[in-house]
Amino acid sequence: MFSNHHKKSLFVKPLVSFALMLILFAPFLAHAYTGITIVLSANTQMNQEFVEHFREELIATKNTALRVKVIDLQETDKLVVAENSELVIALGIRALDAASKLKQSTPVIGVFTPLPTFNTLLASSRRDLGNFSAIVLDQPYARQMSLIKTILPEAKNLGILLGSTSSQYGELLKEIGEQNTFNVVEENVSDESDLIPKLRLILDSTDALMAIPDPLIYSRETAQPILLTSYRHQKPVFGYSQSYVRAGALAAVYSSTKQLAKQAAEIAVKSQAAPGLLPPPQTPKYFSIAINFQVARSLNIPIVDENLLYKKMLEVEKLQ
Amino acid sequence: MKWLTKTVMAKPQTIAVLALVLVSASLAVHAEEARQRNLSEDDYMGDVPKVLTVSRLSQAPADAAAAVTVIDRETIRASGIVDLPEIFRLVPGFYVGTNAGYVYSTDYAVSYHGANSGYAGTMQVMINGRSVYSPLYGGVKWSELPLAIADIERIEVTRGPNAASYGANAYHGAINIITQTPDGTPSNSVIATHGNGRNEVFYRHTGKQGALDYRFTAGYKQDDGLDDRNDFKRTRFINAQADAHIDLTNAIEFEFGIGDGARGEGDIAKDAIVFLPRTKQANNYYGLIRWQHQVSDSSDLTVQAYHSYDRSNDQTRSVNLRPIIASFPDPFAPILAAALVNDDVFIKNEVIQKRTDIEAQHTFALGSNIRAVWGGSIRQDTMYAPFYLDSKKTEYFDLQRLFGHVEWRAHEKITFNTGAMIEHNDFTGTDISPRASINFKLHPDHTIRLGISSALRTPNYVEEKFQDRLVIPTNLANPNALIFQYRANPGNVQPAQIISREIGYLGKFGNFNLDARLFSDRLDDVIRDSDRTDFTAPANTFLINPNDVRFADNNGTAEMTGVEFQANWRISRKTRLLLNHAYVHIRETHPKLKVEYVDSMPRNTLSALLSHQFNRQWDGSFAYYQTSEAHLLGDGMNVDLIRRADVRLARRFNSGRWNGEVSAVVENLFNNRYEEFADYNTLKRRARINVRLDF
Repeated sequence: MFSNHHKKSLFVKPLVSFALMLILFAPFLAHAYTGITIVLSANTQMNQEFVEHFREELIATKNTALRVKVIDLQETDKLVVAENSELVIALGIRALDAASKLKQSTPVIGVFTPLPTFNTLLASSRRDLGNFSAIVLDQPYARQMSLIKTILPEAKNLGILLGSTSSQYGELLKEIGEQNTFNVVEENVSDESDLIPKLRLILDSTDALMAIPDPLIYSRETAQPILLTSYRHQKPVFGYSQSYVRAGALAAVYSSTKQLAKQAAEIAVKSQAAPGLLPPPQTPKYFSIAINFQVARSLNIPIVDENLLYKKMLEVEKLQ
Repeated sequence: MKWLTKTVMAKPQTIAVLALVLVSASLAVHAEEARQRNLSEDDYMGDVPKVLTVSRLSQAPADAAAAVTVIDRETIRASGIVDLPEIFRLVPGFYVGTNAGYVYSTDYAVSYHGANSGYAGTMQVMINGRSVYSPLYGGVKWSELPLAIADIERIEVTRGPNAASYGANAYHGAINIITQTPDGTPSNSVIATHGNGRNEVFYRHTGKQGALDYRFTAGYKQDDGLDDRNDFKRTRFINAQADAHIDLTNAIEFEFGIGDGARGEGDIAKDAIVFLPRTKQANNYYGLIRWQHQVSDSSDLTVQAYHSYDRSNDQTRSVNLRPIIASFPDPFAPILAAALVNDDVFIKNEVIQKRTDIEAQHTFALGSNIRAVWGGSIRQDTMYAPFYLDSKKTEYFDLQRLFGHVEWRAHEKITFNTGAMIEHNDFTGTDISPRASINFKLHPDHTIRLGISSALRTPNYVEEKFQDRLVIPTNLANPNALIFQYRANPGNVQPAQIISREIGYLGKFGNFNLDARLFSDRLDDVIRDSDRTDFTAPANTFLINPNDVRFADNNGTAEMTGVEFQANWRISRKTRLLLNHAYVHIRETHPKLKVEYVDSMPRNTLSALLSHQFNRQWDGSFAYYQTSEAHLLGDGMNVDLIRRADVRLARRFNSGRWNGEVSAVVENLFNNRYEEFADYNTLKRRARINVRLDF
């Protein structure tokens, strides 16, 4: 069920065994679903696009028997779903929060969900991994590092700023860094006033900054000081979103709405027979890369061909 | 797999109970966490304001149209300098000399490629794009700038004429000092320096108020100057900078500064007659507002306006003139001496300069290979200098500019740059300064640049308008006054022109970066001083110095050739060497250029900065400067070879809330007695200690 290049993602191995255990102890046996309810946190363009692409994907794979229903949370007081016959795909954390309160037998997949928030919701709800899963927004760290390695083959020291949300991934990042021949240099930011001084420390001793999502560190407000300080140190920033690249990060791995919709449709089809057995939360399978060529040029980092870069990354993932 | 552990642990009841105990045990931590919001899809997919806009992104050195030296904070810190102009010793081709002059010239003389007078009028100097170049003598009053070295983020020095980007007067080069953008991080710093003839203290505060990030710095500097000279300076200042983020595409920046102080100046020689040692007052302020608007992803607009005010109030009295005049070899001398209305002459040399400038600039990218900037500005400078201009009238100098610059990456290995500026000013009319260059990137690490650039230098007031003189009234009908005429400019001086051709090379060999430049400059219509023979004093007055009245005109042509390089070698992660050398040869191609002009740039200048980080706390640096013999212009004189070594040792301390650094600097370690700029400026060993406390 996973393509080869997912073996090294954040969670796969332990999760498979964990999921197996869950089947054995699953308290409720769910019935195969006949329809899919997509719950929108809000009626945004992004969410609409997802629904559209999801439908297209079902048609393209000839799974037209699955009905797709859409509920906009902003227009509903209480989320009501035909709980025994539906798969719920929740778009955004508000939708996932609402869906987590549905009957346990209703399988729920979160999309547009950050991994730390998924964990929080899983912990606070009475749900189990078998019926509560997600395609998280977080790209596998190995994939992000592979992008950095492809663009900066000579880079050795990779700087990472961690806040209270992301500090839990510190060890893992060091480990994956080692596998990618990076020396990961981490600084923990505990307070807003610490951010820029810590960033300067990191920039003085590393070749690039890899952004790990954390509300304390990367926000709309901090984008300017982070990107400007890094630029003044002539060090590239690798972001985790298209908009951060647009703002001034050098590059990022991200998944488009269409790519996430394709992955969600694949899960929806495969899990139909055993809805209590959702695959464990997974990182995006399909991805794109965003590059800010103006920044690359100003930093004198040669990036000849975006497509070539992408192909190189795919090859690296296949090898892993 | 921590996230999993966390998930699994939260499920079983018993562990939950245990967790509860842990929670109460570390309430503070969890309270902090509770304040943290959950990450949402908006953090990954929401809009972020574009920070590195087209106009903020500078050209990579390999694409740049000219040789540019960037001095960053770390280099400034490692150099251990106490006065800003000293940093330019680390730029190849620069001459920096301190000067304790007589009138309006007690400051640093800084120039690139010679023609160095006390006022260094051959470069454009800006702070955050605001021109601080004075049209009076043409230079910068470095010590008057209301700025702390700690405020500076980096300094960009364009070596070679760059009028197409910075306007006329970016004649030999251009300096842009860029201060730290307030980043919203709340912080306080106190920086204090104490040493030989020097005491300084600064307080810096940065903070955030809603969408407004701000910083202000207040400082007091006490500089006792050189031994045996009256050149002390006391300066106090406040400057502030604020950025308001209006929305995703609009930001407004504010800058403000005010400073004042007393300065010692004057001739301490025993036989001095006028401009004796005295104290004068200087004060200045400026304000700037800049609107940055992002038109689209690849296009932005900047509109800025600023106003600055500089005043210097110098009042001085001569010695008793009667015995001096009585001793003139003239039979009437004793009668004249007895007929003087006063024993001495009183000079009230007040200078008020104001500048108002409005500029709009539009930067855009066309596809991924063309980037362009164009814009225009209008400026008005006013000058009130009754002593110098011999008129109580305020003079107005209007300047209008239109500029454009295109960078075209024709091929991944070839970049073209071309641009021009058209200027119109009240002194010299309309002029155009074009430039063009081509960069060949033979390899990602090796670039060759061929460039040609032309620039003009508008004559300044001392060259165009000065009519300064001493008027000594008598009781007689004829002469009713004795006149000592310093300068009598007829005006109509044409701009001086430079055409510079260069071959540049930028190379990277592992951790060794090299920037080399071979140049050949042709200078036409050089503006120079001559003695005026046709000057006639007003009727019924007597001119004391008929053979010594100076004026400026365009006189002579010259060629300037040479080579300069800058090497930046990161020897290890902890050790760095910066090495600069310039060889500059000025040749007169027109006999009217006097020897001094040809010798106004030291043939060889060398500088090196070696810095090493011993451990997390300790770091040190060693700087070496060598300047060969030169004859400086203006008030300058012949000065010999200079060798100077500085050493600096610093220890950082980090104790949670209180962080900082203590450093000690010894300047001129081997105590070489050498002269800078003129023979009366003798430099000796000086040491000082600097403490920085961040809280």
